[in-house]
Parts: sequence; structure tokens; C-alpha cells
Amino acid sequence: MAPIPQLLIGIGAISAVTTVLAIIMVIADATIANYGDVQIRINDEKEVTVEGGRPLLSSLMEEKIFIPSACGGRGSCGLCKVQVTSDIGDYLPTELPWISDEEKTENIRLSCQLKLKKDISIQIPEELFNVREYECEVASIVDLTYDIKQVILRLKEPAEINFKAGQYIQFQVPEYELTSESVYRAYSMASQPSRHNEVELEVRLIPNGICTTYVFEHLKEGDTVTINGPYGDFHLRETDARIIFIAGGSGNAPVKSILYNMLENNNSREALYFFGARAVRDLFLVDEMKELENKLSNFKYIPALSEPLPEENWKGETGLITEVLDRHIDSGENTEAYLCGSPGMIDAAVAVLTKNGIPEDKIYYDKFA
Amino acid sequence: MKQTVQMREIQDKMKPGVITRDGFLGTDSRNLIDILIEDDAKVKRINLTHGQIAGRMQELREAGKRGLGDFISVAPHFEVRVDMVRGKLPCPFGHPGLIQKTNIQVRNLEKNREIAFTDMHIHIIAEHGFYEGKGSPYRLEVRDLIEILEIELPEE
Repeated sequence: MAPIPQLLIGIGAISAVTTVLAIIMVIADATIANYGDVQIRINDEKEVTVEGGRPLLSSLMEEKIFIPSACGGRGSCGLCKVQVTSDIGDYLPTELPWISDEEKTENIRLSCQLKLKKDISIQIPEELFNVREYECEVASIVDLTYDIKQVILRLKEPAEINFKAGQYIQFQVPEYELTSESVYRAYSMASQPSRHNEVELEVRLIPNGICTTYVFEHLKEGDTVTINGPYGDFHLRETDARIIFIAGGSGNAPVKSILYNMLENNNSREALYFFGARAVRDLFLVDEMKELENKLSNFKYIPALSEPLPEENWKGETGLITEVLDRHIDSGENTEAYLCGSPGMIDAAVAVLTKNGIPEDKIYYDKFA
Repeated sequence: MKQTVQMREIQDKMKPGVITRDGFLGTDSRNLIDILIEDDAKVKRINLTHGQIAGRMQELREAGKRGLGDFISVAPHFEVRVDMVRGKLPCPFGHPGLIQKTNIQVRNLEKNREIAFTDMHIHIIAEHGFYEGKGSPYRLEVRDLIEILEIELPEE
């Protein structure tokens, strides 16, 4: 039997050699490897040629094909999924946490993690071909509350956008003190689709948030910004069911878009809008919503405060929005619900809605819009 | 102190752009092992454990979750907001699974002080005694955590 010191030296030597080899492979891949040009075949109808060795997500973006992504390609949001129909090898460990068993059978992959080393065929939703990059001018910035701003962007090139009420865009934040590279963040459009030449956003300040800090501290009227979109499957379904909207904070944006779209289309479906805030100072656009109650015959706006201040003399609904919701819903029959807010709010609201008889497949939400 | 290859690999994962844009180390050029030893000593000197500190952070996080993304009052004089955002991150120390990106803001109204941390902080403090490197925008000071979160110190 080998003495223990010799054994340790042996293990140490093997570890050192393995580490050195791994480092050499990484350096070689980054500096020596040349994959040449690579073809990306999309939906069996479009083909683009890109430089090999780079991630699929950014390669597609350079070709103006935008796959939604919220983390800048770091594999931490799990959004940028595409179906790969050619052989590109096994899943990477960085992809696996985001891929369900069902998705594995369809070879759904995270496009930010796939480095293009050979030709590839992919399938993406057709609607992504409608996604464009837009250069815009900041037309106005208005404080809605102390921590929510309304930003209106006037489209310059292209000058018009087509979207469904409830969808979102990605806002490009340029390099500045909080980020050494440009990044994208998703925001729902508060404007309705008929406003083809502008996009209205509601941006809530997040401490140290890269995009929100940029909007609150740097963005000025007249600035030029870049967005891309539209994205998302959050839109009003064409049925005659009663509608329940639930939102908090800047989650108001897609609901506002849908409501104005309903108004313009003379949609008289019964609709209740539960809007949760903490105190009066967190409410915004209340007069506008009350005015909509007069214009939309079957619409009712129900703002609710979880902790109103005594001096605010609040006479409306109080309690968490889920508690207020529970008090108002007596039946889930022929009802659809549309939710936009934090994941915590959405999970709690879904529990209340299903308890009251609304099936999960009639509850639509965009947790992070 | 000289650190192991394994520790050096962990430190590499903490650099900017690997797991998070800013990384975990800030301007701290020390070996990870030295960062851990220094913070561990600070906690031991006051007879606390990293688990106790993380436990208090978790307690306030759970209480703040009731606010559904908004600030909510938490007895006796705190306001807490728990805000989850899209995405999950791996632990730089290699723990299996992913940690939800969650921002937690705690305001101590009596002391008029505020602190922000994440689910990742709760994990890396509880499991690894790591408070991030000096100069990191997300570095947490043990003293701030004790004072703002009012973590009770054991009697001598």
C-alpha cells in the first residue's frame, strides 16, 4: 500500500494536470478556435449566415431577429428558448435548470448558452418575425408617483409599431456608470395599439436596478433610445366571459392598454379592475380610471390600499389586494382573469381565483412584464 | 492565506460577468479564503453564528412577503418589501439548484436606517459565511445587519 504522503502527492499531481489541461482548452477555445461562418436555418424558410463561435442569441440579434431575454445572455432568466431541429449535442449544465422533461423531448434549448460551432436549424414562434428594433425620441417623462414614472417614446425609425394590447417591449439601456455594456429590460406598453407612432411605459424605481436607475437619473426628454418588440402572450382573449384584472404598481401598464383598446373597439364585456397599492401616495391615474368607468359601460375600477395612513382619510377598499378580491368574487363562472405584478402577488392571486372557481387555464398573467 | 485550487475556482466564478454582471468581490483583491476568515472572525467575536444572522434575514423576508411586492409593516417598527424578479442564479460555491432573484429592502423606522439584500445573500451567509468582497455594491457589513435588523447578541 502506498504511504499517505505519496498518495496525496499523486492526487495533487493529477488534479494539477487536469486543471492545467482545462485552462488550456478554455484559452484555446477562446483564442485559437475558428469555426468560420455558420448557417442558421430558421423555421425552414429563412437562412442567415453568421460568424461561428458566438452564442445563438446574440448572433440572431445581430441579424435583427430578437428572442426575448431578460438577463443579457447569462443564462439566469430562462427566457430565450428556441427549438433546435438539428443535432447540436447534449444539453449544457447551464441549460438544464430551465428545461422541463417535456421540453427536452422537443429539444428546446437556451439560445444564450448555445455557442455556434456548426450549421444549425431552429424553430421560433412566427410572431417573433414581427419583432423590430425601433429608434425613438423621449417625448415626455412624467412622475406618476414618487417611484413610478410614465415615459412616452415617439417612434422615429421605423415610425410605426403594430402590437396587441398587453404586450411588452425591451428597452435598451446604454453603457453608463452601472453597466459596462448595453442591456435590455422588459416593460409592458401602457399605450393602446391605435397609438401606432408612440409607446407609453410605466417604470417603477428598483434600488440599484440598472434600467430603472437609468430612467430615473439619466433619461431626459429629447434623448434618443432604442427598443425592440413587441413580445408576449398577455392579451385579451376573444370571448364573452367576465373579465377580472388584477395589478399593482407598474403592472397597471398592460391593463391600461387593454382597457383603452376595449373602449376603442366598443367592447362592453363586464370587467372588474382590482388595483393594489399600499397607501394613497402609491395610487396613480385614479381619475383616468374613474373616467373610464363612465365610458366603458360594464367596467368597474376597485383600488385597494393595504396600509392607508390615517391622515389620508381613505374611504375605499382596504386590505391586501388578494383579500379584497376574495371579498368581491362570489363565482368563477364564465370568468377570465388577467394579472400583472410581482410573482408573489400573482401566486397569491391565482390561489384566491382558483379557490373561487376560476380554472387555472382561464387565468392569464405575465409575472415579470 | 494560501487557498486551495477549489477555492480559487470558486473565486473565479465570483468575478464580474460570470454569474452576475457585477460579480461578488468588488474591489477586494484578497484571496476568498481571507475574506471568509475575516468576516467569520467578526461574527465569532460577538458570539453569533452566520446561521443566526441569515435566520433573521430570512425571518424578515418571510414577513415581508405578505406585502405582495409592496412595502408592508412588520412589528415592531420595520417596513419590508420583497420583490422577486425574473431569473435564478447558481450559488458560486457550487451548491446544487438555483436561487430565485429576490430583492429584499428592510427599513428600520426607529433608527431611520435601511438595508437591502437578496435571497442569494441569505444563502451565501447561511451556508458559507460570505458577505461579498469589499467594494462590491452588494457587500453586507455584519455590523449593519446586526444594527438595522436588530439581531440580538447573546450575553457574554
